Amino acid sequence: MDTVLEVDRVVTRFGSDVIHDGVSFAIQRGEVVALIGGSGTGKSVLLKEIIGLLRPTRGAVSLFGSDVWSASDAHLNELRGRFGMLFQDGALFSSLSVAENIAVPFREHSRVAEELINPLVGFKLSLVGLSEDTCRKTPAQLSGGMRKRVALARALALEPEILFLDEPTSGLDPISARAFDALVHTLSVSLGLTVFMVTHDLDTLLSIVDRAIALSHGAVIADGTIEAVRQSDHPWIKEYFSTRPSTRNGKEQ
Amino acid sequence: MNPVRPAPDRHDDCSAPILGPSSMTPSSQADRGAAATALPTASIDRVVENGVPVYYLQGLWRLSHLPEAINALREAAPAQGPRCVLDGSRLKALDTAAAFVVFRRLAEVGYAAGSVSLRAMAEGQSRLIALVIERMHAPAARPSPPRLGPVARLGAAALAVAAHLRAHAAFIGAVAVEMLSLVRAPRHFRYREATSQFESAALDAIPIASLVTLLIGVVFAYLLGVQAQQYGATIFVVDGVGLAICRELSPILVAVIVAGRSGAAFTAQIGSMKVQEETDAIRTLGLSPTQVLVIPRLVALIFGVPLLVFVGDVAGIAGGILVSAWQLDIAPATFVTRLHTVLAPSSVVVGLGKAPVFGVFIATIACRMGMSVARDARSVGEHTTSTVVQSIVWVIVLDAAFAVALQRLGI
Repeated sequence: MDTVLEVDRVVTRFGSDVIHDGVSFAIQRGEVVALIGGSGTGKSVLLKEIIGLLRPTRGAVSLFGSDVWSASDAHLNELRGRFGMLFQDGALFSSLSVAENIAVPFREHSRVAEELINPLVGFKLSLVGLSEDTCRKTPAQLSGGMRKRVALARALALEPEILFLDEPTSGLDPISARAFDALVHTLSVSLGLTVFMVTHDLDTLLSIVDRAIALSHGAVIADGTIEAVRQSDHPWIKEYFSTRPSTRNGKEQ
Repeated sequence: MNPVRPAPDRHDDCSAPILGPSSMTPSSQADRGAAATALPTASIDRVVENGVPVYYLQGLWRLSHLPEAINALREAAPAQGPRCVLDGSRLKALDTAAAFVVFRRLAEVGYAAGSVSLRAMAEGQSRLIALVIERMHAPAARPSPPRLGPVARLGAAALAVAAHLRAHAAFIGAVAVEMLSLVRAPRHFRYREATSQFESAALDAIPIASLVTLLIGVVFAYLLGVQAQQYGATIFVVDGVGLAICRELSPILVAVIVAGRSGAAFTAQIGSMKVQEETDAIRTLGLSPTQVLVIPRLVALIFGVPLLVFVGDVAGIAGGILVSAWQLDIAPATFVTRLHTVLAPSSVVVGLGKAPVFGVFIATIACRMGMSVARDARSVGEHTTSTVVQSIVWVIVLDAAFAVALQRLGI
């Protein structure tokens, strides 16, 4: 199998706070993986370390076989072209319209001819299930769910091989959240995307995720299919899966 | 776990150049660099087999090779017969952007998606193509509307200014009403908030206000001295410095400093509270944001600006004394005695009297701009800038109005 992402004994300290104490795992191409853990267990911090925004205290992160933290700037930029990141609130550029937001990666990082940009932007919008009348709006005029879809379209613009999602369904109503899950699922299956997400959402976990990695107290406490993780004896995992009665008896669809 | 995009079975009789050791999965991009330098990265081979045109997609059909892909497609001949075949046996990689341009081009030359059959496509690629065909008919994104012409922009700006002034007037009214209710129930006044605002807006600004007015006093006395020396009338520098500093320079400079320092801070503080919905929280707790946020700041500036103007008067005159002693041989004692006789108390009072008016305008503009911030981060910055610009403009306008009015009144 083809390892896309490898996190090797990552240690993170903020002052005297130990956030990660030797976290290791590897993600294969095509997997949809969720990183779970209570609030404050450093999930988002780990995500930032993976995508090269925050340097871990010790340990290594490699994407597509190259170490992120020893890569040159040029090499890191090349790696950045191969993954897409969806930030928690979308992080759309508030001064640009929706269409301009999605066009940014095309204009900056591809050789796409100017007259092809608008058709491609329209196509990307339709890939994430938005109609073209959203394209002239500004991010402030969009609902949370639409903002995430636009951000997803921007993240998908450069045809990434791996997609990072930070709490993709937080702040969405259950219907929008499930629709977003379905969208991520469709894209991951159709485009062969590897997806690595940080999530709290049990429904997401049970519906579209192949594998879960649980973090607690700075270490990986469980790693495997949802079924395998659920069998874990760790008190946090037990409590996590028991927060919804219906999940106690068998996997729900 | 199955890889979603498995390596396709390849018929290796194809004429596509072999990409060295990198014929792993089609989506592997390790071959990107090598392919870009040595190979025709995306090309098309059109063969007619049994009367049906067959398009062999060759090489890397990826976003990074889109210009080559488009060139290759341009040469694809117009429709011949009702159907065509798209063959993936020589395809190294395919992504949505490339699939999109392929099917767009095929539709242009007369093959709708329904009349194209796929052959020898990897499983993942067929899935990708199915998704692309399903979504490709989205209309192109419309670019933002072009900018308005100069007349239309002038009109829009005029309407914006009118709406702005109307909102200011409404805000002033709301603040006045709250002020009246405070007069009736003074125990609701927030002394602690007001004093802490006074401290940060006035006391903390003393060093910068005295530095600026001192330096202006120095410059003004120096310029005046150079002129006065020519007539041997250096002592009149005292008259000039005293009058200019106390009546005009100190109030204006202090007001500009307060607008830039406290006005901007008020807008940013209240604006970010608005973004975080703190002002809504204040309202749901049964409090009035105007009483909690606006009035303490207003009161702080009503008392703070005169204090700073007084400090500015002293510092500016001190600057004049320094230059006079050093450049014009006027001893400090002589300067002060002369100042005593020529500086009319009314000039000082006019300067100090303008200060609370400036304070009211700055605080009102700053708080109103803060309260009207929209719920996005950019708006905080825009409103803060706008506060500073509006405050300074209003201070100058008011100062001119004062000058004319007081002239008429003979003060």
